[in-house]
Amino acid sequence: MTVTLPNSEADRSRALDLLGAANTRLVSIFGSTDDNHVRYVHYLIDVNGREYRMLSSPVTGSIPSATPIVPAAAWYERELHDQYGIECEGHPDPRPLLFHENWPENVHPMIDDASHVPWAEGQYHFLRVHGDGVCEVPVGPIHAGIIEPGHFRFSVVGDTVLHLELRHFYTHKGTEKLFENTPVMDAVMIAESVSGDNCFSHAVAYCQAIENAFAISVPPRAQAIRLIGLELERMLAHIADVGALCGDVGFTVPAAYTARLKETLLQASTRFFGTRFWRGIAVPGGVTRDLSSAETGEFGRMVTAAAREFAQMARLILHTSSVQNRFESTGILTAEIAKQLAVVGPAARASGIGLDVRRDHPTGRYRDINVDVPQYTHGDVLARARIRIDETAISTHLINETLKELPAGSVLVPVPLSGSADALSAVESPRGELLYWVRIRDGKITRCHIKSPSFQNWPALPLAMLGNIIADFPLINKSFNLSYSGCDR
Amino acid sequence: MIGDAVARSLRSPQVLISIGKLFVNAAGSRMPDVQPDLLTDAVARRVVAACPTSALKIDEDAGRTHLILNYGECTGCGRCIAAGGGTLRYAEKVTRCGVSKQALIRSWDIQGRAEVVQDEPALSQAAEQIRALVGRALNIRQVDAGSCNGCEAEIVALTNPYYDLERFGIHFVASPKHADMLLVTGPVTRNMAAALKNAYDAVPSPNLVVAVGACGCSGGIFGRSHAVVGPVDAVIPVDGYIPGCPPTPRMLLTGIVQVLRPFSLRW
Repeated sequence: MTVTLPNSEADRSRALDLLGAANTRLVSIFGSTDDNHVRYVHYLIDVNGREYRMLSSPVTGSIPSATPIVPAAAWYERELHDQYGIECEGHPDPRPLLFHENWPENVHPMIDDASHVPWAEGQYHFLRVHGDGVCEVPVGPIHAGIIEPGHFRFSVVGDTVLHLELRHFYTHKGTEKLFENTPVMDAVMIAESVSGDNCFSHAVAYCQAIENAFAISVPPRAQAIRLIGLELERMLAHIADVGALCGDVGFTVPAAYTARLKETLLQASTRFFGTRFWRGIAVPGGVTRDLSSAETGEFGRMVTAAAREFAQMARLILHTSSVQNRFESTGILTAEIAKQLAVVGPAARASGIGLDVRRDHPTGRYRDINVDVPQYTHGDVLARARIRIDETAISTHLINETLKELPAGSVLVPVPLSGSADALSAVESPRGELLYWVRIRDGKITRCHIKSPSFQNWPALPLAMLGNIIADFPLINKSFNLSYSGCDR
Repeated sequence: MIGDAVARSLRSPQVLISIGKLFVNAAGSRMPDVQPDLLTDAVARRVVAACPTSALKIDEDAGRTHLILNYGECTGCGRCIAAGGGTLRYAEKVTRCGVSKQALIRSWDIQGRAEVVQDEPALSQAAEQIRALVGRALNIRQVDAGSCNGCEAEIVALTNPYYDLERFGIHFVASPKHADMLLVTGPVTRNMAAALKNAYDAVPSPNLVVAVGACGCSGGIFGRSHAVVGPVDAVIPVDGYIPGCPPTPRMLLTGIVQVLRPFSLRW
């Protein structure tokens, strides 16, 4: 992983040139301010799929939009405007993103005092689809199940979806701002609460950024325990997703079956790590829990047993004709659109784009091992289900291999409580590439940007939905299983 | 192959947790508890200094010093337990679920090395009416008012074969119009405040509102954000509070049941 930090106007146009090249992928665009309140824009780009490159430049006045070059930039530039008031000239859709009509237009919380923001009454304009027989179906923000809030506005003719507009950020909590002035050891708690079902991925990504900033070597045993937690979190997510997909096609038996398996793993976590979702385990410098040698054996057996049961049930699911009928050719995300929107994670791998941070930008224990990256090309619900089934088996294998050769030694080293540095860190969360960029001044975070895989992937969902029937939306949506809070932050 | 999946499922083990082991059990909650006989002034000050939220406080009043623990603000980070040298431990029982905001707070007299005992708050009128009206059949509409999704993950777990809350006649319903109870998570964001109010207005009376999680009870770590209005009770009236970050399924069930107080869960 290489990060360059030149700071000139020229770097912005260099970034836009780079984004137009075939061998690059937009990772994130975000803003910051320096000690003299000068605003900066940062372009984070993956070059050749193996190297993160960051180009930064100061901003005076407006900047040209990158969205006409790479559509994946659209939401990042809207966020840049909402947070920092930076205008992106030529942006095709400059509406506010993070803030709804209750927020005054001229308040940008990363540069303005946002402690007492008055309530405004604006209006939001959805894109209207005109024509005979076109109707709009509004869904949300509160949904029928126990799900996070968000709004979906369908334009349909009969059952067929002509257009879907997402309106999110109902769970926007100003999280990036909350990191400001938080001591490095405390801010891990904020990272854990960005996306509650991927909390360990967020915690590890944050901790690695701090460790990169201060060039701290995390003990090998702590790296191994982090790998176990990350892979277990992936198993939990994938097992639950496959079950929920079955639930969405009315096949409730495997849904209950997988819910039991997931709970088994959560209880194993409770027993051996004292926590169901691995909160409080990762801290800058290592981890807070260790495993005894007797525990490693039993924990491994429990994980293996759950994985074996899941694999057997998954085989039955995929051989069920009604499941095949509903999953196959539903909600296709083409490789071309996935590339334009820089889609990551299982959704990318199901559309023929083999991205995986664990293999492409490895950190910690992943540097020493090989990770298989399954890939399918159909881009439909079935492909996204298969990716999750395959990856559950791979995660089980990685956990068992790690438990077998757990390095000796301590699990935690001290971290300096003062000091200043900037650093980047990446993790392959269950939903895909997750990055933290932190700026530390005198031991406190002064800026933390979170590139969440859900923020990246949500814009792809409406395109996978086009031409499908509205009744398949829950299934297609679940096959992406994106986080609302992780996206909205 | 549907038959194969069903047959396989029928062979799976019976995992339902019996009622005796279900309520009050705090496994995995990461909530702290105080061992009063070990409590000293020095330890109390050390654990208060270690707490990154304001869940632990010292209260000095009329010459007595009290250690105050507000479960509604505790995220279970475990730092007080590390700093407390055995005086604070992970709780084996969490009884402060589904209680009033005041009852989320426990207090220990440091000189006397004993907990200050509080009276169990009286049942709200709505809770009594609902209990009389529907017995144990309770319909719950869950509303995420801005949560990180951690609480939702645990609420969904209530329906799995280990907890199976339907055995108590408790159901999750899709519409607030069908609900007796709103189970609300999250710090209420600016962007969700209006939707939460609308959902509340749609629930028929009598009804109950239960605030879930550190964020729902107190705003949690997000309480000071510009994008957050505050805890659930900043927007709608709340009858019971369930702390935790996130609360475990056992804490959730204890809290949901405790609001109706069908039997006494002593603390």
